[in-house]
Amino acid sequence: MKKVPSRSNGDPEKRVIPYLMAGDPDLKTTAALLRSAKKAGAWAIELGIPFSDPMADGPVIQKASSRAMSKDTSLKSILGWLETIPAGDRPPVYLMTYFNLFLSMGLETFVRKAVAAGGIRGAVIPDLSFEDSSEVRRVFRKAGLSLVPFIAPTTSQDRMRKIVATGEDFIYFVSLLGTTGKELSDPRDVGRHVSLIKSMTQVPVCVGFGIQSPETVREILDVADGVIIGSRLVREENDPVRWGKLLSSFIQAARSVRFSGKRSTERSVRERSH
Amino acid sequence: MGQPFRMRSSKIRPASLPDRLGYFGAFGGRFVSETLMAALYELEQAFREAWKDPEFHREMKGVYRDFVGRPSPLYFAEALTRKIGGARIYLKREDMLHTGAHKINNTVGQALLALRMKKKRLIAETGAGQHGVATATVAARYGFDCDIYMGTEDVRRQSLNVFRMNLLGARVRPVEGGTKTLKDAISEALRDWSQSVLSTHYVLGTAFGPHPFPLIVRSFQSVIGREARKQILGKEGRLPDALVACVGGGSNSIGLFYPFLKDLGCVLYGVEAGGRSFRPGEHAARFKTGKVGVLQGSKTFVLQDPDGQIEGTHSVSAGLDYSAVGPELSYYRESGRISFTSVTDDEALNGFETLSRTEGIIPALESSHAIAWGVRLARELGPDRIVLINLSGRGDKDVMEVARIKGVSLT
Repeated sequence: MKKVPSRSNGDPEKRVIPYLMAGDPDLKTTAALLRSAKKAGAWAIELGIPFSDPMADGPVIQKASSRAMSKDTSLKSILGWLETIPAGDRPPVYLMTYFNLFLSMGLETFVRKAVAAGGIRGAVIPDLSFEDSSEVRRVFRKAGLSLVPFIAPTTSQDRMRKIVATGEDFIYFVSLLGTTGKELSDPRDVGRHVSLIKSMTQVPVCVGFGIQSPETVREILDVADGVIIGSRLVREENDPVRWGKLLSSFIQAARSVRFSGKRSTERSVRERSH
Repeated sequence: MGQPFRMRSSKIRPASLPDRLGYFGAFGGRFVSETLMAALYELEQAFREAWKDPEFHREMKGVYRDFVGRPSPLYFAEALTRKIGGARIYLKREDMLHTGAHKINNTVGQALLALRMKKKRLIAETGAGQHGVATATVAARYGFDCDIYMGTEDVRRQSLNVFRMNLLGARVRPVEGGTKTLKDAISEALRDWSQSVLSTHYVLGTAFGPHPFPLIVRSFQSVIGREARKQILGKEGRLPDALVACVGGGSNSIGLFYPFLKDLGCVLYGVEAGGRSFRPGEHAARFKTGKVGVLQGSKTFVLQDPDGQIEGTHSVSAGLDYSAVGPELSYYRESGRISFTSVTDDEALNGFETLSRTEGIIPALESSHAIAWGVRLARELGPDRIVLINLSGRGDKDVMEVARIKGVSLT
């Protein structure tokens, strides 16, 4: 059995975080995928809530979002629905959606409901810039929720330093310029960025956008602490069996890095840059 | 017709906004993905440097005069005034500019900024097609590669402008997502920009989106109000009693209003698209049924359902057909400095016909909203008053759509 993810620094675990669109194709399937993710050993789930205007997402997640829109998948109903799923049937959840849904509900109401639902660690909000996020971070922190900060390949070093200082559970490094679901062109480039981020913080760095294959997972986890896999899995959401197999292949790839002694490389990178 | 504004003029300091973080009071900000933040800072810096540089203003002035056709006339609509029998109606003739609308004021400015930032490519969103044409025009003039995003519903309504953009060498990329209108074109342009950000400048067409766009677009468009103020003082020896402009994202209205914000004797009216009714999806009157939210980079009034999903819009004019409104307008609406109202599709079509027949000027359907309200206002204010209406664009592009509505086949 996997142990419950810990928030402590220096956790040697390699994290695989699948992204799921709630309600695609329906909530019953989403519940099955959550169970399957738990069984396969996913470290956490990024649970997408459909939004009418997903401007950071590519075609795959846009389509999933419109499929899910009509399925009683408002932020409010998803929070209520999560409450009905036994904790043993799902990994810890990070909600992922656009800021207007939180604003519309009201931040205080959101954190109250999120805490009541149980097992929600925090949120990933792609259109909430660092500059606009301090109030949200304050309200989240008070409730023990984490707002996952983003770093992109275009983020300057000065800015990176400020952003990593707000990191808690993990830092989300966007591996490429563009939207979700694009093919990653050069994993070595990702490595350089992740090493730089890791030289600034002890908070784990997870990489998302553009991860399509177990090979890429291995390459990225040479340096990074985790991967977030979105579009590639979202494509299989209507088939829980295939989805589960695919996720397992990603998790296998992650474990092979964990047990192959690559940590030493990573540690030396970290030490060098200190 | 709305209460005259009572705030002391010393309390209005338009130039102090937006603040350092891009806010107009509670509105504005930079609600975009981290990938785009570096580009927004680069753009802000380029803009602030250019704006301080006399050489930049000299260049702009030359291009405005010789390429765009500025200053645009301020025209006393004598026949319309006589017909209405009320206040004297003046029209700011942005419809006479190159490409047929005020949009070119902004695209010229942003193209010059893009040259300074050494970008190779311009992208833009477009609703009615006017901003797309204006961007394609400056792309051709200054040698940029150019892609224009346009919802498929708008492509249908504005096929003439699609062809114009093609003639100018731009690629028009139809957007199938969502409601297939301006909002979806903006999302797609932002997606393009997030992968092309190093080589590409996004020419946002209205005083909306993440900071510094509302500041930049307002700055380039406020030439409308600066000219109009000077012109009306020249012709009438005094300022108008009321100014009227249609409001989509808000670029022609803030452009006209900005230089008049401290003139408290001038009542400012923004006219939104009332569409068919105030039911969800049947209008674009954000200040009527919208609430504060975040859409496409900006915190402002947004049409949305109780769960925070963005509502669709409808207007007979593609350029007003948008779910959110510029943050600076939200600020002046909250402070009471600008009054907002709306007119229906039918009223706008009336305005369209009235101006065509009495003045021999076919206005854009967007501007027809301002005409419709301005005429009502002039009638109510009575003689000895002055109403200045921004005629933001010409109606050539709308002729096909109006024919369709009237059941006239042109083929």
